[in-house]
Amino acid sequence: MNQHSRSTRPSWAHVAVLVLAGLAALAFGSCAVQTARALSYQRISGEGSSWAANAIDAMRVNVKQFGITVDFNPSGSTSGRKNFLNGTVDFAASDIPFQLAPEDGSAPENPAPNSYAYMPVTAGGTAFMYNLQINGKRVTNLRLSGENVAKIFTGAISTWNDPAIQADNPGLTMPARTVVAVVRSDGSGSSAQFTKWMIDRQPAIWNDYCNRSGRAPACGETSFYPTIPGMIAQSGDLGIAGYVSQGFAEGAIGYVNYSYALGTQFPVVKVLNAAGFYTEPTPQNVAVSLLQAKINGDENNPATYLTQDLSAVYTDTDSRSYQLSSYSYLILPTKVAGQFNLDKGTTLGAFSYYAMCQAQQQSASLGYSPMPINLVQAGFDQILKIPGVVAQDINIAACKNPTFAADGTNLLADNAPKPQECDRQGSLQCANGTGGMSNVPTAVLAAATGAPAPTATTPAAATPAAGAATPAGGAATPVAGAATTPAGATPVAGAGTPVAGAGTPAGATPAGATPAAAAGTPAAAAGTPVAGTGTPAAGAKTPAAGAATPGALAPASAGAPQVASSPAVGGVVAVGGVVAVDGSSAVGGAPAVDAATAGGTPTADGVAPDAGALADGSATGLVPVEGAAAPEAPLGAVAPPLAANCDVDTGLCGAATGGAAAPVAAGLVAGAITPTTLSEAGSSVPLMLLIVALTLGLVLAPALAWRYFSQAGST
Amino acid sequence: MMTSTIPAIVDVGSGTPQPRSLDARRGRGDRVFHGVTSLSGVVVLAIMGAVGLFLSIQATQALRSTGLSFLTTAEWQPDRGKFGIAAVLVGTVLIALVAVVIALPISLGAALFITEVAPTWLRSTLVAVVDLMAAVPSVVYGLWGLFLLQGQIIGLSHWLNGWFGWIPFFDVAGANPGSPLSSMTVYTASTFVAGMVVAMMVMPIQCVVMREVFSQVPIGEREGAFALGSTRWGMIRVVALPFGRGGIIGGTMLGLGRALGETIAVVLIISPRFDVNFHILEAGSNSVSSLIANRYSESSGFGLSALMAAGLALFAVTLVVNFTASWFVARSRSGASS
Repeated sequence: MNQHSRSTRPSWAHVAVLVLAGLAALAFGSCAVQTARALSYQRISGEGSSWAANAIDAMRVNVKQFGITVDFNPSGSTSGRKNFLNGTVDFAASDIPFQLAPEDGSAPENPAPNSYAYMPVTAGGTAFMYNLQINGKRVTNLRLSGENVAKIFTGAISTWNDPAIQADNPGLTMPARTVVAVVRSDGSGSSAQFTKWMIDRQPAIWNDYCNRSGRAPACGETSFYPTIPGMIAQSGDLGIAGYVSQGFAEGAIGYVNYSYALGTQFPVVKVLNAAGFYTEPTPQNVAVSLLQAKINGDENNPATYLTQDLSAVYTDTDSRSYQLSSYSYLILPTKVAGQFNLDKGTTLGAFSYYAMCQAQQQSASLGYSPMPINLVQAGFDQILKIPGVVAQDINIAACKNPTFAADGTNLLADNAPKPQECDRQGSLQCANGTGGMSNVPTAVLAAATGAPAPTATTPAAATPAAGAATPAGGAATPVAGAATTPAGATPVAGAGTPVAGAGTPAGATPAGATPAAAAGTPAAAAGTPVAGTGTPAAGAKTPAAGAATPGALAPASAGAPQVASSPAVGGVVAVGGVVAVDGSSAVGGAPAVDAATAGGTPTADGVAPDAGALADGSATGLVPVEGAAAPEAPLGAVAPPLAANCDVDTGLCGAATGGAAAPVAAGLVAGAITPTTLSEAGSSVPLMLLIVALTLGLVLAPALAWRYFSQAGST
Repeated sequence: MMTSTIPAIVDVGSGTPQPRSLDARRGRGDRVFHGVTSLSGVVVLAIMGAVGLFLSIQATQALRSTGLSFLTTAEWQPDRGKFGIAAVLVGTVLIALVAVVIALPISLGAALFITEVAPTWLRSTLVAVVDLMAAVPSVVYGLWGLFLLQGQIIGLSHWLNGWFGWIPFFDVAGANPGSPLSSMTVYTASTFVAGMVVAMMVMPIQCVVMREVFSQVPIGEREGAFALGSTRWGMIRVVALPFGRGGIIGGTMLGLGRALGETIAVVLIISPRFDVNFHILEAGSNSVSSLIANRYSESSGFGLSALMAAGLALFAVTLVVNFTASWFVARSRSGASS
């Protein structure tokens, strides 16, 4: 025994030495790797737009794997530009260009000429996130006209049951609660974009407010939103989103980037566009809207090159347009000065390349809209102006940007679903939720006949697989709304009804098929993921046949867009969202919609855009139908991830990060998810409490112990 | 190593007697110590002076353009020449007052409990906890106030507004406390909520000063009071409180000085507004330090100068408050008030 222990002792020591040596080697190895990386890339820092911060932050995190360390401080566009001018950061993110001649009386910014370049980095919508309940249930489908939005943010409307708001929301009984407008307290690009929109669209309301708030006569576009008593001003998009999402903040409404509403799981307002539809700033709708943005193409003047003129976006008559869509920019240095050196230029260049190329894939899942191909190419040229940049020869198709199409059009915009008929001005509003609560519908006041829908909800919940049967005709829409409803309650049936009516004119066959189609439809929405796996259900043929009737084409222009859009609002899209047209039957321009193919073969998704083109020949007939049969190879690779895995509404993809995954499955478990989502809003407080308690405990316990023992020792 | 040289004896008999002059020659250790300590003292003074000087120089540009209207203007639009500290200074003082009014009873009670009532084992624990409260960073208090306290405290605001709304301070524009649908948001981000959080931060400072003073209450007088049949409360009332009066006032004012300058917690909670607002329960408030924190990174040139002027005003106010406080504390330490 003794012998044994004697012999083991040295071996233990040996092991310990070995372990230590191993650890040292590991540490050294990792050190060596670190240095190697540090040699190639220097840490860079940026500051600015909190509107674009979620997108930039995702890029920042992703480039870490390449050894690129980027610090980003989302302190607002104004602060970003100021500190870029002061030379304390290497690049700035700003929603608006340098204010060389500000219209709000603030001091002009004076960047040295030719010392900077604008690079559009992401696009998105300025959304109006709100916290409102009716009878203890959160409202998720609020709609507002531009005039009412302006009135709310100028204090002209003070209660939610104002007749003007009620008129926008015939399906809701608005409560007599105070409207609390939450605005930005810091200098912000979104304030500037918002006020610019108001000045353009609602000049009378804005000018009146400008006078009342003491800002007159400098009433131009401003980064510093003027406030009046009763308003809440918070710092940063996060500040606004944080305030609005608090439990006590009922009645509050604030303007933030769409991504923040998704992040906090709060709904956003559907704003009335020039086409008479209430739309929300989904990535698709933003892509459509920004087709109208005028981008300055004067390459010789870096002070304005690539800057945006959005006035045509405000008046866009596409039914999918969202008026407050805009691009956000990175401001890149083009000269070595101060702390910015060539090494940092190399890093910034690599980061910018990533931002323009690979990062765009992810934009939609975050709530942003990816850059179109022309701006990506222009962005690549801008990157070359960074001193020290290592030029990359990028095959642009390999960026997997969901907007790229072979013919240079914006695939995302072409594919964007039309709004539902219930989103049209004057109609009873849709029940579907919006923004971060797209899976939670709000009961709208029942109008007349709601018979078929309640039955429709049952199969939805019961047999998702049957969903493959669906995408027939206009009937799809109402039930998509119903599919997301947790219970087959009557009000939702009411919601479905008007749209079912809209689908009816499709002709005798589809009309006769309506109840059946309705019964199948929710399942389609819910069952899409299953359908996507490649099992064309036999039942699929039935509605398809109905839709294939020549008579169906006529309503298709009215009805088909709804098919496309319905899942979008319901938040359960995937394949069902884009009613894929079977390439073979579509080639001849024949109106046959083969649902079986659409549901069953995700590989046909390369064709998907044509469904939109076919259904809505007038608006977006950019993609030749014939071309559908043979998409370019790289694009074929691009399309499926979008159409097959991504939720067209929220842009959340199957492989999306973190909490984003839940909404994708929403259609399947809508009923189950609803209560959790609602209660999650309040769960942050106990969590906070726990963290504080833990922190205090960690500090408190040792302090007390020390105190106790020192006391014991001395006495 | 001190050596004294005795001067030569002068003519003692004639003339008036001259005091003997003592020439203390110090050793090296003494000289080093003297040098270091006096240097430290001078450096502290110099830093204070430099801060004041720097602020004054930086603020000149702004102050020259506005003159005295700097004190009476409520708006803050320096680039348009319309700016002043009327709103922010009033907000600063109100937040600090709310903080002190809330913190004073707590800290006084805690100090008395620790020194006079608590058993020994609890005493040391409480001292540690109070010291710990002083060590928690202000951003933690701010987050705590924003995410936890605010949601709970607006109920109190609502109650105060409902019952005492007739007092101008507790009036809230746009609030309808009687209505069940009335929005609680009108009570958020207010002077009251900010003051409440700041109170938690100044409380430990006040408590420490008061505890120090109470612990110096002469044992003889304390025992005497008991010997004369006084209860514990009687002893506290006639001995401890009068003796510690200077400390109570001084500690309170030290707390006030800290409350005036509190930044991050206030920035996180308030919604900045630029009008003179005495309604402490109403949404929106402002303070000099939060104004500077909010606007610093967005200002340049003249705007920065204006912020410096605001900082100078705060510096002056805090200096006055703190000097008064230390005067009180010093008086009380000497035992003069007992």
